[in-house]
Amino acid sequence: MHPQGVAAFPHYFVGVNSLAELATKEDRVCVLNITGGESRTVTPVSHIYSGGNIVCGTSPGRSGSMVKTSAGDIPVFDNMAEAVNAGLKFNVVVVYLPPSGVRDGVIEAVRVNPNLKKIVILTEKVPVRDARIIRAVGQMHGIDILGPNCLGVADAHNHVRIGGALGGSAPEESLIPGSVAIYSNSGNFTTTIAVYLATAGWGTTVSLSSGKDVYIQYAAPEWTHAFHNDDRSKAAVMYIEPGGYYERELKFEKPVIACVVGRWKAKLTKACGHAGAIAGSGDNALAKEEWFMEKFGVDALFTPDNPVCSGKGAVVTNISHIPLAMTAVMAKHGAKPDFAPVGDLSLKCWFSNTQGLDLPAHLTPPVVQALAPYDDQIAALGEQVGVVFPRQTMKDASGASMMDSKTQVTRIHGVSVLDSSTHTFEENLVQSLIREYPDANGSALANIALNAFVNQAGKVGLAAADAARGAGNSPNTSLAAAVAMIGPKDVAKSRDVATALVALFKKSGLADPGQAFDFSAQLAAADPAMFVTPMNARKCCELSASRCDAMIEAVGARSAKSVFIDFVQALAAKQGGRVNCAVLLAAITTHLAWKPLMRKRISAMTVTNLPWHFRIFSTLIGSAASSAQQVTDRFCGVENAELMRGWSFTETAHLALLGNRPDAEALYAFSVLLGLIISNGPGTISAQGAKGAVSADGPESPERVQVNKGYIGFLTHTGYAHGGNGFEAIAFLLDRFRSSGLKDPGSAGHGLDLAAMATGYAKEYKGYKSKAKAEGNISYDKIPCVNHPVFKDKDVNYDPREVFVNELFKKRGAYNVFHEFYHQLVLALHKTGVSKNVYCVNVDAVIAVILLKMLWQPYADGKISDETMEAAAFTTFLFGRMIGSAAEIDDHTNRGRNMDTRTAASACSYVS
Amino acid sequence: MNITGLRHGAKLLDLVGFPRSEVLGPEASDQEIKSLIDRCGSVFIKPIFKGGVGKKGKSGLLGRASDLAAAMKEKERLYFAEHFHNNTMAKAEGVTFEGAVPAEFEIYFSLTDSTEFRAPTITITHHGGMDIEELPPTMIARIPFDPLTGLKGFVISNALKSINAPAELISPLVQHLPKLWDLFHQYGMTTLELNPIRMKSDGKGRLTPVACDFKCSFDGDDPNVDRLGLPDDLDTSSYSNFEQEVNSLRTYQGQSDVFVINETGTITAMTFGGGANALVTELLGDAATISSDFGGNPPYAKMHDISRIVYKYWLNQSNVLFIIGGKANNTDIFETFRAMADALRDHFNAYGAQPLYVVVGRGGPNLIRGMSYMKDTLDALGLPYQMFGFDSAMSEVVNYAQAADDWMKNGGREIVAKRMGIQA
Repeated sequence: MHPQGVAAFPHYFVGVNSLAELATKEDRVCVLNITGGESRTVTPVSHIYSGGNIVCGTSPGRSGSMVKTSAGDIPVFDNMAEAVNAGLKFNVVVVYLPPSGVRDGVIEAVRVNPNLKKIVILTEKVPVRDARIIRAVGQMHGIDILGPNCLGVADAHNHVRIGGALGGSAPEESLIPGSVAIYSNSGNFTTTIAVYLATAGWGTTVSLSSGKDVYIQYAAPEWTHAFHNDDRSKAAVMYIEPGGYYERELKFEKPVIACVVGRWKAKLTKACGHAGAIAGSGDNALAKEEWFMEKFGVDALFTPDNPVCSGKGAVVTNISHIPLAMTAVMAKHGAKPDFAPVGDLSLKCWFSNTQGLDLPAHLTPPVVQALAPYDDQIAALGEQVGVVFPRQTMKDASGASMMDSKTQVTRIHGVSVLDSSTHTFEENLVQSLIREYPDANGSALANIALNAFVNQAGKVGLAAADAARGAGNSPNTSLAAAVAMIGPKDVAKSRDVATALVALFKKSGLADPGQAFDFSAQLAAADPAMFVTPMNARKCCELSASRCDAMIEAVGARSAKSVFIDFVQALAAKQGGRVNCAVLLAAITTHLAWKPLMRKRISAMTVTNLPWHFRIFSTLIGSAASSAQQVTDRFCGVENAELMRGWSFTETAHLALLGNRPDAEALYAFSVLLGLIISNGPGTISAQGAKGAVSADGPESPERVQVNKGYIGFLTHTGYAHGGNGFEAIAFLLDRFRSSGLKDPGSAGHGLDLAAMATGYAKEYKGYKSKAKAEGNISYDKIPCVNHPVFKDKDVNYDPREVFVNELFKKRGAYNVFHEFYHQLVLALHKTGVSKNVYCVNVDAVIAVILLKMLWQPYADGKISDETMEAAAFTTFLFGRMIGSAAEIDDHTNRGRNMDTRTAASACSYVS
Repeated sequence: MNITGLRHGAKLLDLVGFPRSEVLGPEASDQEIKSLIDRCGSVFIKPIFKGGVGKKGKSGLLGRASDLAAAMKEKERLYFAEHFHNNTMAKAEGVTFEGAVPAEFEIYFSLTDSTEFRAPTITITHHGGMDIEELPPTMIARIPFDPLTGLKGFVISNALKSINAPAELISPLVQHLPKLWDLFHQYGMTTLELNPIRMKSDGKGRLTPVACDFKCSFDGDDPNVDRLGLPDDLDTSSYSNFEQEVNSLRTYQGQSDVFVINETGTITAMTFGGGANALVTELLGDAATISSDFGGNPPYAKMHDISRIVYKYWLNQSNVLFIIGGKANNTDIFETFRAMADALRDHFNAYGAQPLYVVVGRGGPNLIRGMSYMKDTLDALGLPYQMFGFDSAMSEVVNYAQAADDWMKNGGREIVAKRMGIQA
């Protein structure tokens, strides 16, 4: 019950009599789901390549829109009926519908368009059930169907491609007109075979990707007939995979190279009954090889070493052997290749890095120039400095931080905060932006740069912070006022210099700016106005000259080395001018960033912004101390020059917060504390604030992102509940120890019976809890810093982060009475029946006990109040969290899209 | 996914009202078994294999008992029976007890899609109960039919007449066999085989076909299979944990076909395209851990998921990570390479760095951007690598990957580890 088509097929319908009819200049195409993900990129290329053969497409709900192409726009309709009613004529339908819609799409196409002759189905994973029906519908209506799960058809002579992406985004590269027809079960290999054939000088006529489902709707028998009738096709390549009997009865009238692959698949086949076995002698690769060998009259496979072939053809199992086999078989007919060979199939290494390993010669093929246009693209890579991150929606996503939900440990650029806590504050600040830790020389330079700008005396930002504090604001609010004053104009010079240094040195071969380097070429090429301030110029501020001198002096004092500092000094000497401190700052930050920049670990934009981040770091720490503690040349009583010369920035932060230089133990404890609170991942509120601020500025124009506003976002997204709550644990401990007579919390000989104190409190708490429950109060006060929603199910529970830090201190022989009390407390809570198992002491307790130990003495001496204690706890959190926020701000600037943190209205809810 | 045997097959046959022998599962009580023997005279005891295995009877994995004691003995023998077929071993997980059906005739019947006819096709013979493929073609009828009209009685009738089937078989089979089309077509099957169907007599000359075994294969791409509500673990033995985890990603764009080739392999190949998959798997042989096809332009998220799973299962033991495909038509090289590179970085972050040699051969849209991203990542991870253009013969690139694997096996792994500052 099918119309009569080509007479050679009396039992079923075939409409195409010659391959020349498969993809013609006259074919007019309608693409179903034209705006779908795959079609959106493929269809315009096909349209342009084919000279504008697509008359329309469908996409429900998008009627009236256009798919724009350089060969003319393609109108989009809701459905085919609408297109037909609009008077559009097409004889081919290309189906890009999802699997569930393919069958109905075909039926609809047949129903509404009486002129339909061909359907090409690209969709993969079409159910066999639907393929059965599609076959029957096509047969009933006399329509040739190609696919499904194919890449369509292309005719290199006609310059027409219908359906999928044969030849990819540049079809001319692969589809070179010639005399060979291709039939391939593999879409990818359809193009790859064409490319391989060209290396032996063979071009193509029609390339067909047949698909490889159970139902190959346009299969080898009808293709072979059409091949015979196409005068342009002198020979063919058939790429055949195991499964199906489509090729068994073929009879060829022209030479064919059959590439049969997949012998190994026989091992994987799972038998299901006898049905397959009855159908024939098996349809695995070995059987298919034999079918073709019998047709060609050969007794072996063709290989370069054993080139067995006849005038009828050859069987290969490696597509690399196809060109050679084609030439050998065609030579038996006296036929020569279509054109001079295009390239060859030898190994061509385009990129290589042996990491300096001593590899054997056969593993180190030379890196060769790629063929056009790839050679130009690779050359352009050399021009690009630093990584270019692809932009994507970064809402709740981060390329900087990641919290492991199982361990609750956050990583910043792959380093866990536990490991971060063993690094200094300044090292973590640098790592947050350049994604790796600086070496000792880099740390020295970072300390100089950060300390150089920490003194805020006379700055409007400090005045604003003081005013904010005076108005009763929390520390984060007050510091935000100061950070607001470090705007783009304040850092314009440093950013320009950093950008200019990258431009000057990017192709210089400079690998390590800590090593000596001949920069004479850069000296000659540099624009002096960018780097050098004339001696007689007005100072940018009173501090500048002395600060600049102090910075240079500090570089010498710390025996630090930097090519960039040497360079700007040499340039200044050459010009008879001096170096501005803004220039020195940029030289130092560019030094720090250089190696990861060259390794494409960070972007050029990060390097440009580094001085800005550094200025903010200095400002935030500096503004934590009030104006009463700062004069022009001294910060908290220490000379600026001395800070630059000999203080680490960790020590300076301690100074700003607590008014003194810490001893080794206190410094270590302070560093651990800051490292532990760097981040809790992109979902934490402080990170959300920072990311939101960047997102709102539009990171797709990264030069417009206000870095300082990112920090304000972080600061405004902390508060008494987030950051300030660390004080709860301190207050809890103060209540326990206030009257204890404790002198030195770092001494194990404190004389206190901690177990008794803990048990006493546990009993007291048990009574309180029982009473509260009896009164129906379920929101009774919880003991801070014990128990954890993740680490809670064992008889004795541990927070691995707390364990890690506890071990760190134990190894150093450090003692903390508050920490020890917490351990006694969880035991006591269990013994007294408050808890069913032994709670863990969680990581927040660690933060509280370290801080309280640092503040105990001045508190016990009555030098600081509860309020000061609370502010110190909160500010400490801000110092540490600034590190993680810096990473998020820079990462979002590099990767994010404009306004990508917003929530779709559909995901929002109204609450009445 | 396959189903073998009446344990689950019975429920499917009941859906369309096709008669079948009585069946009890491994949980059946002594009383139930005894009662079945009393009703049917004897019972067959068959081991339950998840998925499907063929030729159990030929392997002696079929018991028959006429009393409870013999039935229990056979149960003990077959409960954990092992069966080898096509180099794969299956282990039984229980037995079924199936009531014997006395009959004069045994019918073989199957429904499948024929690639010769490109139509659904029945295969039928009344010479059932033996290895059907050993019968001469003249004794078997293979008849295609139109799926738009379905399997009709006249197709059955014509088929049986063409092989001279006894007249008394025709009417009952014409009456019952068309029911199977519904089961086959509406629930996403690709093969349905009943062998044997025993023609049970009612004593008055009237015969009824009773299915005494059941086999079917389902189409993994057909959502109609889900309507059967089959247990999730029905065919788990057919797939490794790795394969199951990757298969769970089949739901969205892009191929994600994987097979475990060698659990102790040392080259893990991320292969793109069915052609590349066939070629690479063939050439790598047992050096490969897996055979994969990740072509079809998978989006970033899917490719990242796939890479994460592949790395998790196979990277630790691998010397070579091999990324290989032809010149892609529509797979975005930048997106896929970015996903694989990011997943590799994440893997190193989560599981620690390891010595690895990376070999890449690929072509397609955004090729240089993709290779550049991979290059940057590998540079940052400190791994040695070579990337080859698509104009290099793919088989030569495979040879290179094998050479790199050989070098790693012979001391190279330690050298790379030392350079990376880690343990081999």
